[in-house]
Amino acid sequence: MDAPVYLPSDHFVAPVRTPRILTTGDTSIADLLAIPAARAIVEKDLPGAGMLLGSPMLKPHLGNFSFRSLVQFGAFKGDALDKVDLELRALGPMA
Amino acid sequence: MRGDTIGIDRREALALTAGAATLSFGIAGQSAAALPVAALHGGRDQAFDDDWRFFHGSGSFEALGFDDSPWRRVDLPHDWSIEDLPGGQAPDQLGPFDKHSIGGTATGFSTGGEGWYRKHFRIGHAPDDARVELLFDGIYLDSDIWLNGRPVGSSVSGYHPFAVDLTPALHRDGDNVLAVRVRNLGQNSRWYSGSGLYRQVKLDVLPAATRLARWGVAAWTRSLDGGAATVEVTTSVEAADPALTLVTRLRDSRGAIAAEARSPVAGMVKQVLVVRGPRLWSPDNPSLYSLETELMRGTGTIDRMVQDFGIRIVIMEPRLGMAINGTPTKLRGGCIHHDNGLLGACAYRDADERKLLLLKARGYNAIRSSHNIPSRSLREACDRVGMLLIAEAFDAWHSPKLPQDFSTRFADHWHEVIEALVLSARNSPSVIMWSIGNEIPYRATDEGVRWEWQLANAVRRLDPTRPVTAALNGVLGAPMIAADGTARPGMAGKTDNASTIFLDVPGYNYRLEDIESEQSSHPERVVYASETFPHDVHDYWTLGERAPYFLGEFVWTAMDYLGEAGIGATARVKGNVPYYVAGWPWVVSWCGDIDLIGQQKAPSLARDVVWGISPLEVTVQHPVPDGQHEFIANWGWSDETQSWSWAGSEGKPLAVRIYSSAERVELRLNGVKLGGHEFTAADKMKAEFKIAYAPGILEAVAYRGASIVARRRLETVSAPARMRLTVETAHAGGAHASSDRQALHYVAVEIVDGAGRAVPDAMQHITLSVSGPAELVGFGSANPQAVGSFQSPQAQSFRGRALAILRSQGKPGTVRIGVSSDGLISAATILRIT
Repeated sequence: MDAPVYLPSDHFVAPVRTPRILTTGDTSIADLLAIPAARAIVEKDLPGAGMLLGSPMLKPHLGNFSFRSLVQFGAFKGDALDKVDLELRALGPMA
Repeated sequence: MRGDTIGIDRREALALTAGAATLSFGIAGQSAAALPVAALHGGRDQAFDDDWRFFHGSGSFEALGFDDSPWRRVDLPHDWSIEDLPGGQAPDQLGPFDKHSIGGTATGFSTGGEGWYRKHFRIGHAPDDARVELLFDGIYLDSDIWLNGRPVGSSVSGYHPFAVDLTPALHRDGDNVLAVRVRNLGQNSRWYSGSGLYRQVKLDVLPAATRLARWGVAAWTRSLDGGAATVEVTTSVEAADPALTLVTRLRDSRGAIAAEARSPVAGMVKQVLVVRGPRLWSPDNPSLYSLETELMRGTGTIDRMVQDFGIRIVIMEPRLGMAINGTPTKLRGGCIHHDNGLLGACAYRDADERKLLLLKARGYNAIRSSHNIPSRSLREACDRVGMLLIAEAFDAWHSPKLPQDFSTRFADHWHEVIEALVLSARNSPSVIMWSIGNEIPYRATDEGVRWEWQLANAVRRLDPTRPVTAALNGVLGAPMIAADGTARPGMAGKTDNASTIFLDVPGYNYRLEDIESEQSSHPERVVYASETFPHDVHDYWTLGERAPYFLGEFVWTAMDYLGEAGIGATARVKGNVPYYVAGWPWVVSWCGDIDLIGQQKAPSLARDVVWGISPLEVTVQHPVPDGQHEFIANWGWSDETQSWSWAGSEGKPLAVRIYSSAERVELRLNGVKLGGHEFTAADKMKAEFKIAYAPGILEAVAYRGASIVARRRLETVSAPARMRLTVETAHAGGAHASSDRQALHYVAVEIVDGAGRAVPDAMQHITLSVSGPAELVGFGSANPQAVGSFQSPQAQSFRGRALAILRSQGKPGTVRIGVSSDGLISAATILRIT
C-alpha cells in the first residue's frame, strides 16, 4: 500500500469561467448583483432586497449565500424566487 | 517536539537563574550540583511557563530597569479575559463578562484590552556563542516582545506558533528581562478568543553554528508492504557541516530502536527508515514511536530533537471513501473552538486531553480545530489518544467578517501562518487534512480563487502528504476550468467550481441536500460535512452508509464553548413570537453535544444511539407553559433532560422522547404499560410519547424481536439533601495526580437527594474550599448564561452539577477539598498528589 501524494502545481493562470444559467438557488447573491441584467431582475422582483442585503451582518456572506438559502430565515418567499428564476433563465447562459 | 538533554561537554553547560534563585542546567550523565529551585538542562523544548509578572493595562514597560515587583505573579498558560473584571458591578458585569463588551455575543461578552508580561532570568556558564530562542505556541492577539529593552519579535495572528531569537539582546552574565505586550483590541473574533500568553512557551538553547532547522524534520509513511513500513524522513540543517553525521531513528514505546539511518550532513538530507512489523497508528490503536534526530560530531551530540511519530497511511478516494491503513473509516467528527470552558483559552495538556477523552467516549474519532491553528497541547493529545484532526488556518482571507479580524493582516502575514501550521504539525499522525479556511467571504471571486490556489499550493509545497480542504458554506461558485500547470493533477481542462477547484477534499457546511445531487456531475470528488446541525445526525449517518465518497460529518459543535453566545439557544416564547435572539447574559454557545463542564446533553444521547454507542436513551422535554412554544435555534435542540422529576406538572402531558436503534420500544410508568412504538426508517431512531406526569419510575424497554435489548429508567427524586464530590481519574492529570505545575485535577460537584440520586434541576449556591498543594483555577457550571466568577470559590450549580478544576503547585502532598451549600450536608474528599 502506497501513500497518496498531493503535489503542488507550478504556476497560476486564472481559471476560465464557463457559462451557466443563473439561478437564485446556486448562484451567489453577489454574483447576481454583479451582472447588470440579473441585478435589474432582482431589484424589480425583490424590491426589499437592497435594504436587507446592506446589513453589515449579511454583507460578508453575499458571496457565498444564495437568495434561496435565505428563505429559511424568512428573508424571501419561494414563489417570488421562482419568478426571478424564470426571468434569469430567459437571459440564457452567462459567464 | 521534545528536546532531550544534549550530551554536550561541560564547557557548553548552561545555567539559568530565575529571579534570585539559581536554576542550573544539568548535563546528561552528570550529577547536578545542589540547586535551590530546580535542575534544567541544555537543549530544546524547555518549559518557560513559570514565574512571569503580569499587568493588565497600557503603558511602556519594556525597559530593563522598570520595577515590576508590584505586578501580579502568573504561571502560564494565562488568559486575562477569563479573570474577573476588576471592580465589576452586577448586573451588567458578572465575573469576567461585561454586557457592554465590544465583542458582544460573538466573544461571549468577554473583554480584551492590553496586558503586559515580564519575566526575569539569568544565564550563566553558557558558551559565548549559544543561540537562545523562545517559542511561543500562540499569543492572543497582537504581541510585541522585547529582551532587555530591545525589540526581538512580534506576532499578529493570535494562534500560530512562532519563535524569537533572543541571542542578539541576551545578557550572558547578568539579569535578563523579557517583556511582552499583548493587545486584544476591537472586534477581531467571532468566538471567545481569550487574551494573553494562553499557550505554552518553550526555551530552546541551540548550537551557534550547525543545527537542526526549526520544525526541520518531515517524516511520513510512504508505504506499507510485506509486513514492513517505509518511512521517509527529510531533515533541514542550518549551516550544514558535511563533517557531521545526521542520525535518524525510530524507537518504539519500550525504547527499542525500530529503525535507524545515518547520513553525512547537508542542508537537506533525505533518509529512508524501514520498520519491520510496525505497530500502526489509528484512532482505535494510537501507537506512537519516538522519532529522534541527532547531529553528531564523532560520538558527541551537537543537536537533538525528539518528537512523536505514528506510522499510518490515510487514503481518501471516491469509490472507497477513507481508509486508514487499509481499514475503511467514516469520520465521526465534531468541530471545536479552542477554549477549555471554565479555564478560558488556557491550553493545558490535561484540559485538552480530557476534552478528547470525553469525545472518544461518545464515539467521536475526529475533531476540526475551527477556525484556527490548534494548540500544540491539543494536537499532541490527538496523537496520544487517537483522535483524527483537521487543522485549520483561517476564518477570513482578503475580505472581512469583522472590522478588525485577520483579513486586515492577511495579505502580509498569511504565509507565516501557513508555514507554522504545516511545519509544526506535519509529523503528527492525527492530522489528516489541512484546512485553508472556513466560510471564507468572497472566496469565489477572481481574487478569492487566486488566494485559494496560492494557499493550497503553499500547503502542498510544505507537505504533499495530506489533502488540502476548506469548509464551504452556501453555493460553490461559478463553474470554471483550470489549465495544465495550474490545476490539480488530473483536473486540467475539466469543469469544477470556483470554491472547490484547488481543493483536494472539499468540506461542506450545512449542505446536506446538495451532496448527493452534486456528486452525479462531479464523481471525482471526495467530500465530507465540515459543519452540520445536531438535528441532522441521522441523515448524515445514513448518507455515509450509502455514499462511499462521503467521508462523514463534523457536528457544530462537539462541545459547548464560550462565545457565539446562544447560537444553540432554546427558549420558551409567546405564541406569536417567531424567533428568539439570544443576548446578554448568554455567554456560552449552548450548541454542543457535551456541555461546558463535560456532561452529555440531549443531542449527545441521540448521537449515542445513531452511532451505536447506546441502543436506547430516554429524555423528557422541560414543560412548556400554556400560551408559549419552544423556539429551537438551528444549532440547538429541544430542551430535554434525563429527568422524571417535574413537580408542579402532575397530570399534565409531558413529551417523552425515545431514541433507539431497536425494532420496538415500550414505555411504562410505575409498572403500567403506557404504549409502544414500532420503529420504521422514517422515524430516524426517534419516537415521542405524550405522558401525563405522575411521580415514580418511567421505564423504556427496547426490543429486537421478542428479546429485550435495553432498558432505561428515569426516577423521580426528592429534594436536594447533600453534596457529592468526585475526583475524576479519566484524564492524564487525574490518573496520575501529578505534582507537575501543568497538571490539572477535575473534581465534580453534584447535588443529590437523601438517597444519593442526582437532582437534575438543582441550582444551589455552593462554596468550595481547597487546602494543600493545589490551587483552584476554575469553578463553575455549564450554565450558558453568566452567573459570576469562574475563579472564585463560590459558584452556582446548574442542573445539579458544578465542576472545580485544581492546578498542582509543583510539590507532592494531600489536597483536601470541601464543598458546602446552605441547607445541604457538606461533602469532602482528598486528592493525593505524587
